[in-house]
Amino acid sequence: MISIYLQGTSWLHRIPAGLKLLAVAIASLILFQVKSPWVFLACLVVVAVCYASLGRQGVAQLKLLRGLSYFLGILLLFHWVSGTFLEGVSVILRLLVLVLAANLVSVTTRLDDMLDAVMPLFMPLEWIGLSARKPALGVALVLRFAPYMMQIFSRLREAYQARAGSTNSWKLLPPLAIQCLRMSDNVADALRARGGSEGLPR
Amino acid sequence: MADRSLVHIAFYAALIAALGLVPPVAIPFLGGVPITAQTLGVMLAGVMLGPVRGGLAVLLFLFLVALGAPFLSGGRGGLGVFATPSVGFLIGWPVGAFVAGWIMRATSRMNILASAAVSAAFGGIVVVYLFGIPGVAYMAGLPLLEATYLSAIYIPGDLVKVAITALITQTVARGLPGAILSRS
Amino acid sequence: MAFWLTKNRQEQARVCDPEANPFAVFEGAGLEIGNRRILSDLTLSLKEDRIGVIGLNGSGKSTFVRMLNGLRLPDHGSLRLFGAEAEKAAPELPRHVGFVFQNPDHQAIFPTVEEEIAFGLTQLGADKRESRERALVFLQAHGCEALAASPIAELSEGQKQLVCILSVLVMEPRLLVLDEPMTSLDALASRRIRDKILSLPQKIVMVSHDLGHFEGFDRILWLEEGRLRMDGSPFEVLRAFEADISRRSGVKLELAAL
Repeated sequence: MISIYLQGTSWLHRIPAGLKLLAVAIASLILFQVKSPWVFLACLVVVAVCYASLGRQGVAQLKLLRGLSYFLGILLLFHWVSGTFLEGVSVILRLLVLVLAANLVSVTTRLDDMLDAVMPLFMPLEWIGLSARKPALGVALVLRFAPYMMQIFSRLREAYQARAGSTNSWKLLPPLAIQCLRMSDNVADALRARGGSEGLPR
Repeated sequence: MADRSLVHIAFYAALIAALGLVPPVAIPFLGGVPITAQTLGVMLAGVMLGPVRGGLAVLLFLFLVALGAPFLSGGRGGLGVFATPSVGFLIGWPVGAFVAGWIMRATSRMNILASAAVSAAFGGIVVVYLFGIPGVAYMAGLPLLEATYLSAIYIPGDLVKVAITALITQTVARGLPGAILSRS
Repeated sequence: MAFWLTKNRQEQARVCDPEANPFAVFEGAGLEIGNRRILSDLTLSLKEDRIGVIGLNGSGKSTFVRMLNGLRLPDHGSLRLFGAEAEKAAPELPRHVGFVFQNPDHQAIFPTVEEEIAFGLTQLGADKRESRERALVFLQAHGCEALAASPIAELSEGQKQLVCILSVLVMEPRLLVLDEPMTSLDALASRRIRDKILSLPQKIVMVSHDLGHFEGFDRILWLEEGRLRMDGSPFEVLRAFEADISRRSGVKLELAAL
């Protein structure tokens, strides 16, 4: 399954998904009320220890900060220019804690378990006559067809390269969109042939 | 046709994910700001599918990202991305797709190239930045004006995407007229 | 925009009789899509165990077989499926008629094999855990338990088509309709899938371009331009079809005729 989930059996993996989600949501709310950089620094240490407890692959996760560092650098510059350097440091530390904590939940929870944990949130849809089954089916469809579309895209790219020489062109996108729509008609038929998104009448 | 709509929504969500894999193009005269194809997918979803299905396609895409699928450009995913300063842009995406689809429908008598360009520009830029900039300001603790400066470097790239969206829509409309669901 | 509304699950009585034989009765049935006549004046009844459908591209084969499980309904004449009028039977038909499509990539809708198989069971009303367990047992019974956790995208074409067939069989249909199921397969995979199909207890209706696949079939329908051109035993129909192809290909080819 395509996911940023890391295979493992650590203590963090064993906590139920719902609990982890709740914890990170509450922690985020609290962190937005805090101003002191020392609190953030302490939190950062705690989160880092959590990553370290996942072993080497956990520590490797910290590389996701690299993408963010460019932005954080500019951010600090903005704060420094406007004379709020210390506040800038707090903001950056808070961002780091929030991002790392949220990511920690994602890397230690299987996508399926995450979906099961949030499915009850869709139940109110049923009360107002909407289907709670469709979001889950939609998730499955995307996971199934995203890799297939990438495959179609690379085939189109080869066909284009064979004739035009270059590879990256917006001209590849219209045929991709058309093929996707044609295919989606077939898939909709296939879904209907097995009783459709609502299941069969009892 | 309920099942068909669900499949269309899922397919556009998958398409947005696939576009995340297109390598970013860095445009030198824009100071090397990387342009990703992903927001192109957001504009296309609205313009091609119409407001409700377009908005839901983007929402479904974001739901998968939140569940942990690494579908954002650069292979990013998981709850962490919703804690970054760009969260406002992510929230703006489905709304932007909805607005783009709505304008597309409202201007259905206009020439399709112009109509798609207006829809993509308004939904994909104005609306998205309307959510994105306050997001940056809040998450980064900056005044709105500075958050705007910080975000504005991406606007030229987004304008390129508006043009591409319009061209794609026109080409698809010629190749398979029924495919522009926002107009049927 | 009605798609986000749930249909009220109809509690009405079943209309189909799964034992009905003939299972399909066409009387003057036809269908127009856009302003193209796809099928016209079909009058026939189907009851044999192994029925083949042949014809050139655009002859209406695919639309014809889609009528057998209510994916397309005739707009002319009448069609009765499993003893009930097609339109009334349609919501119930996925229970009795399994449909296997030409391209497995357009049919399998779940990321992994196990989920794909389990879907049919949840469709029939089983809960999630029960369907998963029964799916595993079913895969074991068909010697495919090793594939259970595999992503569909990583299977070979033959494996994908096998999974598609199994995902339909798990719903225990009476009739299995296959629309060119061997088209994307190599010679070996195609032989294996064919043998699998012929070994099934279900009634079979199969479309194919490869006439060799109809060995052991009871009846062949030859469609041409939406009409039934010939209907009979494989020996006579396939021979007449091949004779017609050789006669026509003798004529100088022109692009317009392709």
